[in-house]
This record gives sequence, C-alpha cells and structure tokens, in this order.
Amino acid sequence: MTDQALIIQFQNGDSKEGAFTQLLKRHQAPVFFQIKKMVLEHADADDIAQAVWIKVWNKLDGFKQESAFSTWLFRIAYNETLNFIAQKKRLKTHSTQNELDHNVAHPSSQDALKETAVQIKLERAIAELPEKQRFVFMLRYYEAFDYEKIASITGTTVGGAKANYHQAVKKMTSILEQD
Amino acid sequence: MNNTNDPENESVSKELEEALKSFASNTKQVPAGYFDQFELDLMQKIKATGQAPLKAPIISLFSNQKKYLVAASLLFAIATGYLFMNKAANTSDSIANVETIDIKTLPDELIEAYVSNNELVAEVEWNSAIEAVGANLTSTNN
Repeated sequence: MTDQALIIQFQNGDSKEGAFTQLLKRHQAPVFFQIKKMVLEHADADDIAQAVWIKVWNKLDGFKQESAFSTWLFRIAYNETLNFIAQKKRLKTHSTQNELDHNVAHPSSQDALKETAVQIKLERAIAELPEKQRFVFMLRYYEAFDYEKIASITGTTVGGAKANYHQAVKKMTSILEQD
Repeated sequence: MNNTNDPENESVSKELEEALKSFASNTKQVPAGYFDQFELDLMQKIKATGQAPLKAPIISLFSNQKKYLVAASLLFAIATGYLFMNKAANTSDSIANVETIDIKTLPDELIEAYVSNNELVAEVEWNSAIEAVGANLTSTNN
C-alpha cells in the first residue's frame, strides 16, 4: 500500500494501528539516522525519534496530504531535533558543541566510532556547523533529497537550502585540510 | 552523494567523501533488534497516553421514559410561556382600552345637565379669581 492509502486508512479509523505501524516500518530508519547524525548520541536520537512518531500519531488525522508524507515527517523530525538541541544548550552549562566534541573525543562503546584523525576532524567540523545547515547538508548528501523538498522540510527557500549546503561543504573541507 | 551527473556542482573532495562515508557507517550502528523494540515501546507509549479511563455503561431505569419526560417538560415550558405572554397582552390591552362615547348618542337632557353643572362651577371659580384680583388692587391703593 502507498503512503497515501495508509494515511487514508488511518484517518478513516480502519485499523489505525496497522496503518501507522506500516508507515513506521517504512520510514523509521531514515528518520532515525538523520536524527542520529545530528545529535550523535544513540539515547538522544531515540528520545527524539519517539517524540517525532508520537507527534505523527497525534497529528496524522489532520494531515491533508498537501505534501508527501516523508516531507511532513522529516519536517517534524527537523523541528523536534532543533528543539532538543536548543533545550540541551539551555539546560547544560556547556554548549552542545562541547558535548559533540566530547562525544568525538570519547565515543561510547555502544556507538563504536572509528577514531581516525580524519573522523575526529570531520565530526568537529560537523559540530561547528549551525544546526540548520547541518540538517540541510545531511538531507542532501545522505538522503539525496531535492532542494524543493529540503526547503519544505526546513522552512527555507530553495536558494537558501542550496547556500546552506555549499557553505557546509566549504566549511568541512576547510577544516579537514587543516593540519 | 557522489554521482557523475552533478548539475548543482556539489562534488566534494575525496578526503571529505571518505570521511563522510565513515561517518555514515558509524552513525548507522544500532543495537540488534533496535527498530523492532522501538515499535513496541512506541505503541505502548501511544496507548498509555491516549487511553482514557474506561467508564462503565450506565443502564438507566428511565431510559425509555426519559424522552417522554423531556417532551413533557418542553410542552409545559411552552404552554407556560404562552399563557404568560397572553396574560400580559390582555392586561396591557385592558389598560389601554378606554371606552369612548359618541356625543350624538347622548340624550339632550344629560348634555344640558352636564353643561349647567360645569358652568356653575366655572362661574364660581371665575368669580373667586376676580375677587382675589380685586382684593389685591384695593390693598395696593391703600
């Protein structure tokens, strides 16, 4: 069944849970990995992903399908991720960037990050990117979303999304080239 | 994202490309069975937050008569309202009603008697007024 058909089934109340779990199985991995690339910590990504899908459950009845389901879903993920990061910045004395730096220097055994010099540099570079730029880059590079979709997800223009991507590439390249 | 067709000119350096590949590989590591467990945990949470306390159905002894009671109450209210409005209208009408008499229908003797009586009263009042004015003049001259 297509996403549209599953959504209609959900909205009609016909086996709501069944329709929802099908959507979940189809989309949960890319959403989760997008979130994890943003926050790095598995536990944080798990919390955010749970919040995203609970929101989907609560709001799917009102979803008018003016955009693709995945666009709408990633938009929720985008908002939840940025809210989470902002909240963590407010709550902790150290910034999220410091936390990302900490994760880079001391990866958890669960995450099992490869600690090459290049990797460490890259993750530092990613951590230095503004969150929105980071999200745009990840969507474009890893999910190969077109710029119209990225603009819808992040609430920016196509030109803005392109600029974000190119600036992210430029910054990461520059940091990697540093000794 | 490293395809040969690159209309957006988004090619990245080899070094960055390799680093990004490793980064993706690392972040994609999840515990075994994670997504299955995620689904179970999520549905449990949704059910827990969405579940309202179950209410036992109320079996009313008056379920059949209720509609008749409601209908009767409504009729009573309408009837009372109608009567009230009607009574108010009658009272106001009765106050407004003033009996009019056509003078042509009155007998002449009655009219003459009325005029005579009132003429006498008018004359007395007029004489009293004159006397009062006259008394004032007298006192002024003195």
